Amino acid sequence: MDYFEPKTVSEALSLLAKYGEQAKVIAGGTDVMVDIKYKEEPGCLVNIKKIPGLGAIQENGGSLRVGSLVTIREIETNSIVRERLPVFWEACHQFASLQIRNTATVGGNICRASPSGETLAPLLVLEAKGKLAFADGEKSEAFNSFFQGPGKTTLGYKGLLTEIEIPYPQNGSRGVYLKHAVRGAMDIAMVGVAVLITPDAAKNGLQDVRIGLGAVAPTPIRATKTEAMLRGKPLNAALVKEAAAMAASESSPISDQRSSAENRRWIVEALTRRGLQQSWQAATGKEVA
Amino acid sequence: MAKAEYTVLGTSIPRQGGVERVIGAGIYGIDLALKDELHGGILRSQYAHAKIVSIDTSEAKKVPGVHAVVTAADAPDVRYGRTYIDRYMLAKNKVRYMGDPVAAVAADSPAIVKQALKKIKVAYEPLPVVLDQEEAMKPDAPTLHDDMPLPKNLPEGVKVKNVCSYTPVHVGDPDKAMAEADVVVDEVYETKMIHPQYLEPRIAAAQVEPDGRITVWANAQAPFGVRTDVARLLGIPLNKVRVLSTELGGGFGGKASGITSGAAIEPICALLAVKAKRPVMIVLDKAEETISTTIRSGAKMYIKTGVKKDGTIVARTGKVVYDAGAYSGFGAMAGARCTNMLGGWYLMPNCHIDGYVVYTNKQVCGPVRGPGGPQAAFAVESHMDSIAAKLGMDPTEFRLKNTPKAGDKIIGVPKLRDVSLGETIKTAAEKIGWGKVKLEKNQGIGIATGSWIESAGPGGGAVVKVNEDGSVTVHIGKIDMGTAPRFGIPLIAAEELGVPVNDVTVVNVDTDASPWDAGTVGSRAIIVSGTATKLAAIDARNQIFKMAASQLEASPDDLEIKDKQIRVKGTPSKSVPLATIATNAHNIIGEVIGRGYCDNVAMMAEEKARGSSQPFTAHACIVEVDTNTGNVKILKYVAVHDIGFPIHPVAVEGQIEGATAMSIGQALCEQVVFDNNGRTMNPSFVDYLMPTINMMPRIETTLVHGYPGAGPYGAKGAGEIACVPPMAAIANAIYNATGVRIRKLPLSPENVLRTLKEAGKA
Amino acid sequence: MSLTINTTINGKSVSGSAETSTSLLDFLRDTLNYKGTKLCCNTGECGACTIIYNGKPINSCVTMAADANGAQITTIEGVAEGDKLHPVQQAFIDTGAVQCGYCTPGYIISVKVLLDRTKKPTAEDIEEAVSGNICRCTGYTKIVDAIQLAADRMAGRS
Repeated sequence: MDYFEPKTVSEALSLLAKYGEQAKVIAGGTDVMVDIKYKEEPGCLVNIKKIPGLGAIQENGGSLRVGSLVTIREIETNSIVRERLPVFWEACHQFASLQIRNTATVGGNICRASPSGETLAPLLVLEAKGKLAFADGEKSEAFNSFFQGPGKTTLGYKGLLTEIEIPYPQNGSRGVYLKHAVRGAMDIAMVGVAVLITPDAAKNGLQDVRIGLGAVAPTPIRATKTEAMLRGKPLNAALVKEAAAMAASESSPISDQRSSAENRRWIVEALTRRGLQQSWQAATGKEVA
Repeated sequence: MAKAEYTVLGTSIPRQGGVERVIGAGIYGIDLALKDELHGGILRSQYAHAKIVSIDTSEAKKVPGVHAVVTAADAPDVRYGRTYIDRYMLAKNKVRYMGDPVAAVAADSPAIVKQALKKIKVAYEPLPVVLDQEEAMKPDAPTLHDDMPLPKNLPEGVKVKNVCSYTPVHVGDPDKAMAEADVVVDEVYETKMIHPQYLEPRIAAAQVEPDGRITVWANAQAPFGVRTDVARLLGIPLNKVRVLSTELGGGFGGKASGITSGAAIEPICALLAVKAKRPVMIVLDKAEETISTTIRSGAKMYIKTGVKKDGTIVARTGKVVYDAGAYSGFGAMAGARCTNMLGGWYLMPNCHIDGYVVYTNKQVCGPVRGPGGPQAAFAVESHMDSIAAKLGMDPTEFRLKNTPKAGDKIIGVPKLRDVSLGETIKTAAEKIGWGKVKLEKNQGIGIATGSWIESAGPGGGAVVKVNEDGSVTVHIGKIDMGTAPRFGIPLIAAEELGVPVNDVTVVNVDTDASPWDAGTVGSRAIIVSGTATKLAAIDARNQIFKMAASQLEASPDDLEIKDKQIRVKGTPSKSVPLATIATNAHNIIGEVIGRGYCDNVAMMAEEKARGSSQPFTAHACIVEVDTNTGNVKILKYVAVHDIGFPIHPVAVEGQIEGATAMSIGQALCEQVVFDNNGRTMNPSFVDYLMPTINMMPRIETTLVHGYPGAGPYGAKGAGEIACVPPMAAIANAIYNATGVRIRKLPLSPENVLRTLKEAGKA
Repeated sequence: MSLTINTTINGKSVSGSAETSTSLLDFLRDTLNYKGTKLCCNTGECGACTIIYNGKPINSCVTMAADANGAQITTIEGVAEGDKLHPVQQAFIDTGAVQCGYCTPGYIISVKVLLDRTKKPTAEDIEEAVSGNICRCTGYTKIVDAIQLAADRMAGRS
């Protein structure tokens, strides 16, 4: 297995161009090391941790820019994230174990593109964007279109994620990330539900609502039909119930050793309901009628 | 039993061997490195059931750095097993589960081993697979073992297949009594396969010595069992095999080769060492362990009980279908225990239970912590609550109503000399706040009891040597994995010989030098090795007194040892240092060597004559159920135990807390999951879920005063009993919280939610 | 492909070679002979391999040996102060939190980092520090006792 520690993004991109499918990018290594041990050794391992400039968290007006090499723990211990992006913070807080959070990177979690990736549903509801670097230039892409399938993103074999940008939610917005697992943090999510709402001025209904679902489709998804159904209507228990059922129907989970598909749909329904209730309570101070 | 009469017994001295464990010394099997060693690896079956048509190792042998490739053809045509001799160390003619060893390689590095294993060509003819033990009993099921007979004691007219053991339990006239019962409850319970998942992977290392003997290192609970297996399977005499035990990073019955016909990696390793003419070490991967080494079996249990209106149990009938896995392993023993325990440990005047142990194409049953007991207790103790509910009776009152008294018999125990069951129930109820604590919505309280038979098992010996400086070296045949050998055993030797505990060393097992022992299994360490050590220390002491008597001008009966001094009782000025006598022994008898043993036959006869004292227990818990997701959180947990006299209380608590946690794991999150082809779908820790600290309650242990047990000074074994009640305690609390009875383990969020939904409660 | 690794372990400069695919755990145990850090699940799921890497507890089994270059690493071998056990080590012995001991080095590392940072850890702090450390022997009760005893002793409360 060839091994490189590129010192710049363009050096890394040249290696990816050269080795194509044979190359594997490694950052924290918590996923890739397991692949190397138990699946295949790639033809070439590209360790990008020596590339400067990818490890910062900085505010950018109304958004937060997070370098792709920032660790999950660095995000978790960042007070700006906790204050201004609590949905994202919660996912990082429930991520595996402290040991893993200390090395796993947000870029790694995103590029791994596991359907159950912890940070993914939150990034979708926050409408975050990624900065994708290719040999022929950079482009910005919303994560809503970034994920193509399990383990597949628009980076393909030759792109590198250098940074993510997360716009701060509108004033008055509130949200939650709810993870369904057997034991708690250590587990891979059987279902992940991220909810972000903005109540209308009268605090009667939802001016905006975003529901992100993880581990229940080939990629993390937004429950767009459910969101459309909810927007603009006065919020009450019956509507929340209907929305929860609709979100479950928008998911297309599989049955695997962790859960049956049926159970995953039940959980989507339960956690969407809970997510809407909790977000509404946090945003308006009232319970759903 | 007052602690005051002892010097050190009953105190919780820091564990011997604690320092090396906290500084990370390389003491475990996995830390071993032999000079010149080769790495070994095992090729395992890719089919759950198949004929082996051919094995071609020629390409593998050509890989540079490969020193040996072995199959069954390279070993004597000998099988091993505990009850049925049904297993080859490397599969011959047939594979019967996906972890079945087919070939093995010794090479210069793990990478080369991996390469070579890939080059071994095995041609299989797949056979139909049967994964469910009830399906496997049916006449049209595939036959796993063509040459294994059905058990001789099967009743007339019973037509079954793949049964390797049958245990009947019959007392009184259960059909008649059942017909006359006021209330009958009839249920079916089911548990799933669990892996003990000790943290340290299993290893074996072997080398052929210049004199032709084979030395084997193993992190095995039963070193003598390893010796037996290696000698038998390689066709060499026992005196040509030496097994050295390393320290163990956990075992829980899963590292008890020789007891189980479990995984036999030691004989495979020895064979590689012989063929390669170099030392070989095999280290299993944890994911490899889950698919191949011994497990706790799943059990299907049918249980029907008739009671009078006032709550008196009058009859029980039932059936146990116990999953042996691909080979008989420990199945017969575990299945028999499960069958007997399905009769419960309450008064049971009429009872009939049929227990079948059945081959399936899955991992093999091993003596995993309390084999058969937790499964039976899940059924029995859940069932007790179902009956109580039907009667409208309080679950503790119902149990107390049927609690035996001294002199009574229970299923499997012909006579009880005392009964602490009632005391444990009442204490657990009090500690959990039964009837008092205010429960919120979706919170529930549950109780479950347990028992375990400890005094059935092999005997064992001890040798106590008094060194010339008065320090003491103890040889027993049991290993330490956080158990009696380095907790209670040194206390016993120190107590009887009047020396400081730190002057006592219990050495690890070397089958050349240690007395034979079944190993650290069966809650027997304190009973067997404790008794043996006590008697050996007394024997040594008697020799010392005999030699000191003349010097002190006293009779040996008038002497005592205290603080390394032998002195005349009542006249402390007449004394001589222990070291002096021990040194003088060189000129007389050579050395003070005390010998003692636990005579198992005598012990069983005594238990029969005066009755047994069971290590009864009651556990109780409060849970909270999230009825939207099925998640269960344990808010409070109490474990109440009669362990007789706890020689080392902290050690006893540690065993109770650990065993409880293991069964909480079986209750809430553990199971081995299979696909239809018999492939294990969750071999690694990613998806084989064990309890982590965040989901565990504090386990509040209470040792009741209890009754003296069969062990030394009245001790009872503590290693397994706490595994017995937790699953039912939790299931009962879930029932109390939700009104829903779950009869299938695990009580995972999905299973809880599904059962709630089926009952219209979610 | 073979690499030369130059790193600092327990304050000492150390060099060794490793394959690019070698994990930091295997480098410590097999190349450098530091047997104290334990191999268990090999997938970052149990914490037996926990070491301190540039001040942070990490799972060495899912870290590249190559990443040890230039790093400051503390293993269990570096926790005691010469012959004197660290209070965390002593507390684990004193409370009976050491049964088989296989999880113990990983725990001591995780707990040392916690208590170097927090003098009075809450239940949440403890949970965060050691949720990634599995123990199969103790059921965790005496481990919690050990952590609290160590905290009290280190803060002079006991």
